[in-house]
Amino acid sequence: MTLQTIFQVMASGLLMGLIYALVAVGLSLIFGLMDVVNFAHGEFLMVAMYAMFGLVLLTGLDPILLTPLVAAGMFVFGAFAYLGVVRFAMRARSNKGMVQIFATFGLAVLLQGLAQTLFSPDFRNLPAAWLTGKTLNLGGVFLPWPQLYGCAVSLLAFVGLWLLMTRTDLGKALEATREDRGAVALVGIDANKVFMLGWGLGAALTGLAGAALSAFYYIHPQVGASFALIAYVTVALGGFGSVFGSLAAGIIVGLVEAATTLILPPSLKSIGIYALYLAVVLVRPSGLFGKA
Amino acid sequence: MNRRHFLKSTAALTALSGSAFAQSGKEIAIGAIYPMSGASAQIGVDARHAFDTAVEIVNGSYDIPLIAAKNPGIASLGNAKIRVIMADHQGDPQMGRSEAERMITQDKVAAIVGAFHSSVSATASVTCERYATPYLAADSSSPSLHRRGLKFFFRPSAHDEMFSKAMFDFLDAQKAAGKTIATVGIFYEDTIFGTDSSNVQRKLAAERGYKVACDVKFKANSPSLTAEAQQIKAADPDVFLPSCYTTDAILLIKTFADLGYKPKNIVAQAAGFSDKATFDAVGDKLEGMISRASFSIDMATKRPSIGKVNDMFKARAGRDLNDNTSRQLMAILILADALNRAGSTDGTKLRDALAATDIPGDQTIMPWKQLKFDAEGQNETADPVLIQYLGGKFVTVFPAEVAIAPAKWPMNG
Repeated sequence: MTLQTIFQVMASGLLMGLIYALVAVGLSLIFGLMDVVNFAHGEFLMVAMYAMFGLVLLTGLDPILLTPLVAAGMFVFGAFAYLGVVRFAMRARSNKGMVQIFATFGLAVLLQGLAQTLFSPDFRNLPAAWLTGKTLNLGGVFLPWPQLYGCAVSLLAFVGLWLLMTRTDLGKALEATREDRGAVALVGIDANKVFMLGWGLGAALTGLAGAALSAFYYIHPQVGASFALIAYVTVALGGFGSVFGSLAAGIIVGLVEAATTLILPPSLKSIGIYALYLAVVLVRPSGLFGKA
Repeated sequence: MNRRHFLKSTAALTALSGSAFAQSGKEIAIGAIYPMSGASAQIGVDARHAFDTAVEIVNGSYDIPLIAAKNPGIASLGNAKIRVIMADHQGDPQMGRSEAERMITQDKVAAIVGAFHSSVSATASVTCERYATPYLAADSSSPSLHRRGLKFFFRPSAHDEMFSKAMFDFLDAQKAAGKTIATVGIFYEDTIFGTDSSNVQRKLAAERGYKVACDVKFKANSPSLTAEAQQIKAADPDVFLPSCYTTDAILLIKTFADLGYKPKNIVAQAAGFSDKATFDAVGDKLEGMISRASFSIDMATKRPSIGKVNDMFKARAGRDLNDNTSRQLMAILILADALNRAGSTDGTKLRDALAATDIPGDQTIMPWKQLKFDAEGQNETADPVLIQYLGGKFVTVFPAEVAIAPAKWPMNG
C-alpha cells in the first residue's frame, strides 16, 4: 500500500464524513427538540434528491443555484410532515414511543411507495452541470469537485446552524422548548409552533444534504436507506440532540470507515464504525457530546 | 334491502361468478417472483413487460419460428390460456421463500419462474421442491443452484461458470492474437451472485495462467466505493472483471472517473453492467466495455423471431429486450411448451415434460444451440455470448461463430 493510497482513502473518508454529518444533523436536531426519532429521515433525503432532479429538469439551472430552493422546499415539507403526521402521533396517551416510531415509519413507507409510483424505480442522475466530472488533483490525490462542493455546503450549514442556535430568538426558543416544554408555554412560546419550525429546519438541513448528494450520487426511491442507517449511528455516536456532536461524529464515521478499508477487506468496512459505536455507547451511553 | 344485506349478497355473487369464470376460462396460473420494490425494483418492472409479452405470444396465434407461438393457448389442455401472477421478493431470500409458498398453496400456480437474485432462487426453489412444483430459474446464474440435487429445478440459460469460461476463452483468443493480457482484477459484491462468480473467476485465472492483481469483495449498496476503486486503480489490472448489481455499477464507474482512472479493459459479469439504467447514467465512461450475455439483439439474422418479439416487447416497455428480459420471456414460453406436452398442470407430470424438453436453438430467441436439460436441470448447451458496448449500443463480439464484429481490444485503444 502506497502513501498515496492512504492519503486518497482518508481524504475521501473525510469528504464523505462531512456529508454524513449533514445528513445526520437534521435527525439529531429533531430528536433533541422533542425526543422523536424520525424513521422517515432517509426518505426526506430521497425527496430532496428528487426535488433537485425535478428542478434541474424544469429550470435547466445549475444545481448549485437550486440548492437554497431545495432547502426552502424541504423546510415546508418538514413543517407539513409535522402538522400532518407527527403532531397527531404525539397526542397518543399510551405507548407514545411506539406510536411515534410507527407513524414516522409509516410515513417512510408511504414516501417510498409514492416515489416508486410517480418516478418509477429507475436510477436517475442529474444532467451534466458546471462541476460534473471536474476533479482537483493534489499530487496524485484526487478530490472530485462535486464532493468538495458538498463539504462546503455541509460546513456552511453547520456555521449557519450554530449562529441560528446561539444568536437568534428562534434558536433560543428551540433550546428552551427542548429543555422544558411546559415552562415555555408559561412565557408565551407556542410549543406546537416551535416543533413545526424544528421539523422544518431539520428537513431543510436534510434538503441541503440531498441537494449536495444529488450532484454526485444516483437518485432512486431507496437511496435514503444506505444513508439513514449511517445517520442513526452518527447521531447516537455524537450524542442525541447535539449539533456539534453530529459534525464530529460524521467526520469520525467517515474516517473510521475509510481507515477500516485500509486494514480489512472492503466488504467489512462497516465493522469499524459499529465497533467504535459499541465502544462509545458502552462507555458513554449518551454519546460523545450528548448531555447525560 | 339494508346495507348489510346488500354487501352480503354482492359478496356472494362475486364469489360465485369468480369460481364460475375460473371454471369456464380454464386459465393456467404461473407464478413469478421478482423484486418489485427495493434497490432492484426496475428489474421487476421490466420483467412484468416480458411476462405480458410472453403471455400474449402463448395465448395468441403468431406465425413466427418460436415455441408456443403458433397455437392460441395450450393445445392439449383445450386451448387453455395462461396467466402470470407476480409476487415481490424485495431482494430478500426469506421473502422469496414465503411468497413461493403462498403462490403454490393459495394461487395454485402450476410452476414458478424467478427470481433475478440467485440468493432468492436458492430459497424459493427449495420450497417448490417440497410442494413438487417446477421452478424455472430464468435469470439467476449462480453455478451452485443446480448442484443441490433438486428434482424440480430447471435452468434454461447459462450459469456463471459457463459465462466466466466464455470470458476466459475470449481472453485466451485475444492472447493468441498477440495481445498482452497478464493480470486480471476481480471485483464482486458480497451475496451468492458475487461470491460464486468470483470463485469461478479465481479458479479459471489460476488454471489459465493469469495473475490476479486485485481481489476486492465489497458490501453491496454502499454509500461510497472510493476505497474499493482506489485499490483497483493501484493494481491497474489488464482486465477488470466486475460482478455487481446496478447501484454499485453506477457508483463504481462514477468513482473511477472521480479518481481519474480508466480501466484498461472491462469484461463484466452482466447484472448491473447489462442494465439500461447504468448506461443512461455513465454510458459515456463505458465505451468499449464487454459484458457476458445470454442474449444479443443483433442476432436477428440468425434468430428471425427476435425482431417480431422485440417489437412486441418494446411496445409495452419502451425499451429493447435485454439480457434479463429475454430470459424471463423465454422461461414462460418454455413452460407453455412443457404444459402442452404434459397435457396437465400436475406438478410431477409438468416436471417430467420439462425434463424431456428437446428444442433446437432456432426455435428460441436465444443464442443457445439447443434447449435440453441434463439430470440436474441445467441446459448445458446454452452458449453465452460476449457483447461490447460500442457507439451507444451492444455488438456481439464472441464467440466467432455468432460474432457480428471483431472486438475492439484494448477497449481504450
